Amino acid sequence: MIFTIFKKELIDTLRDKRTMRTMLLIPLLVFPIMLTLFVNVSSSFEKNASEEKIILGVWGDRSGKYTKQLNQMPKGLGEMSTRSFEDSAKLKQAIGNGEIQLGLIIPKNEEVLLRNKVSIPLTWLFDASEIGRQERAESYMNVISDNAELIRLKELGVDADKLHPLVPVYENCASDKKMIGQLAGGILPYIFIAFGFIGCMYPAIDLFTGEKERGTIETLLTTPISRWQILVGKMLVIVSSGMLAATCALIGLFVSIEFLDIVKNKEILDIVHGILTPLFILSMFSLLLPLVVFFAGVMIPIAVYAKSFKEAQSIITPLNFVMVLPAMIGFFPGIELNAMTAAIPVVNIVLSTKELISGTLSIGYYAISLGIMLILAILSVVVSYKQFGKESRILN
Amino acid sequence: MINVSHLRKEFELSRQQQKELNTSDKIALAVNDVSFECKAGKVYSLLGPNGAGKTTTLRMLSTILTPTSGGIEIAGIDAVKYPQEARKKIGFLTGSTGLYARLTPIEIIDYFAALYQVPNKERDERKKYLFHLLNMEDFLQKRIGKLSTGMKQKVSICRTMIHDPEVVIFDEPTSGLDVITAENIIKLIRDCKDQGKTVIFSSHIMSEVDLLCDDLAIIHKGSLKYQGSMNDFRQHMEATNLTEEFIRIVQR
Repeated sequence: MIFTIFKKELIDTLRDKRTMRTMLLIPLLVFPIMLTLFVNVSSSFEKNASEEKIILGVWGDRSGKYTKQLNQMPKGLGEMSTRSFEDSAKLKQAIGNGEIQLGLIIPKNEEVLLRNKVSIPLTWLFDASEIGRQERAESYMNVISDNAELIRLKELGVDADKLHPLVPVYENCASDKKMIGQLAGGILPYIFIAFGFIGCMYPAIDLFTGEKERGTIETLLTTPISRWQILVGKMLVIVSSGMLAATCALIGLFVSIEFLDIVKNKEILDIVHGILTPLFILSMFSLLLPLVVFFAGVMIPIAVYAKSFKEAQSIITPLNFVMVLPAMIGFFPGIELNAMTAAIPVVNIVLSTKELISGTLSIGYYAISLGIMLILAILSVVVSYKQFGKESRILN
Repeated sequence: MINVSHLRKEFELSRQQQKELNTSDKIALAVNDVSFECKAGKVYSLLGPNGAGKTTTLRMLSTILTPTSGGIEIAGIDAVKYPQEARKKIGFLTGSTGLYARLTPIEIIDYFAALYQVPNKERDERKKYLFHLLNMEDFLQKRIGKLSTGMKQKVSICRTMIHDPEVVIFDEPTSGLDVITAENIIKLIRDCKDQGKTVIFSSHIMSEVDLLCDDLAIIHKGSLKYQGSMNDFRQHMEATNLTEEFIRIVQR
């Protein structure tokens, strides 16, 4: 009997354009569109910034040695020409109106400072609202600074190598898989949680509040089916919808990686392929399922309580933020899965998935996370059943 | 047969409802000590103004609501103790009942036949009979959302009768329908009577009651004000017509 209800509700849900949009279309398309836009726009900005031919205004270079050095900058640092300015105010003005892109102010007492072998402050002027300007200034400064350093060391008769008795060598011992898991692993559970929630939302409202609003619930309650069977049949559709939305988002992400050439680095791509094993996907779904049941269990009492689609939507939409906010924990690299975080709903799923990607998930913490979510899922089903059983709730 | 004894229904009022009704009472009494009997092969009418307790009574009979106290027997089954068993014997139709707009009539009928656990062979025979009787063949594959009110009403009737119920409950079945569509319902009630089914229907339209019923009860503010046969009602009325007599009884 539960299957009869499930089948009918599923057909009904699949024919609802609004639900189909949130359940299939948006999750499928959001990542290909978003990532393509992001990658193209950012690479185009980066390209533009590095290829941009800039004019560097120089004030105070009496000897002309800085201008000479600047004019001999390696082409890899971007095309640049210099222009001399007679006063600093005009230099600043020229940057403000976009006439030039960078400015360099050399102090009047530069030669005195140089003679006395003290540091010479070189002031770089730039418009920070323009991407890449500061980076250009820094790269020119590094070259000038290195040259000046070598000259001074030579004057002092010091061997540059002898100046640095210790040379640090940093070696990363974490595997690339772990690095990806910790740095980018937060996005995956976030996607799952966000779309799992959105996927549950419309069917929950449609199958409970919608049925009340349309007056079909009354007829259903006169059939020889118990309320728990009706509840379970409908809940299965809501959970399936949430899982489907999350799966579609994952497929969208997979398609973006595989076919849209978003990951340029082949080594990283190989690691991503290594992560996405059937066991990994199965383990991830095992974590997601109780979470989605919990979402459904939270939404159903609200949908049963609400008298109209709008009312249900106005309560559940803000709830989305409450549920999805903890999922952002995954973006912070310092927070790890331990006995405490494994006991915090939603956060435990995010951190477990992260560890799963890194290949460092402890079975104990996985069991705690799963156990906590299962208890919550069961509790939410009990609450849903109690609400659905209330006469005052189910009849408008 | 339907046997109702000392039926009572109280609703708990929320604070908002107390405010809306301008009362400090925590309980609203919707039905109070209602008893009646509907016989097989007869049409029983529950007549009353809006808010009299008709819908609450019929919802209790169809086991959607549980009575606070009192007994209900449907076709020999204690409907309070065994609601699921009683539901197998009941067909329930209201004027406000909606249908699943994204399904087709045939899908809805099959769905309800499955819920009533009608065997496939019997289901197919009932479908054939009802589709022909109600002249539904032309729109069976169209989605409900695209059907006219009359067509939808036919689907509702078919849905109500697919399991061949012994007891049929109609809650203001013609409410909001035009004369031609309402005629389908009137015909259905007569057919049910001819087939020996127990029929109870609620209405606030005296002419409809006069046309169809054998026995009637007038309910007002949750209590029965009159109960008897339609013939007795006609013979003993003090007002000049049926509607005025109904108003007189309600207001006394």
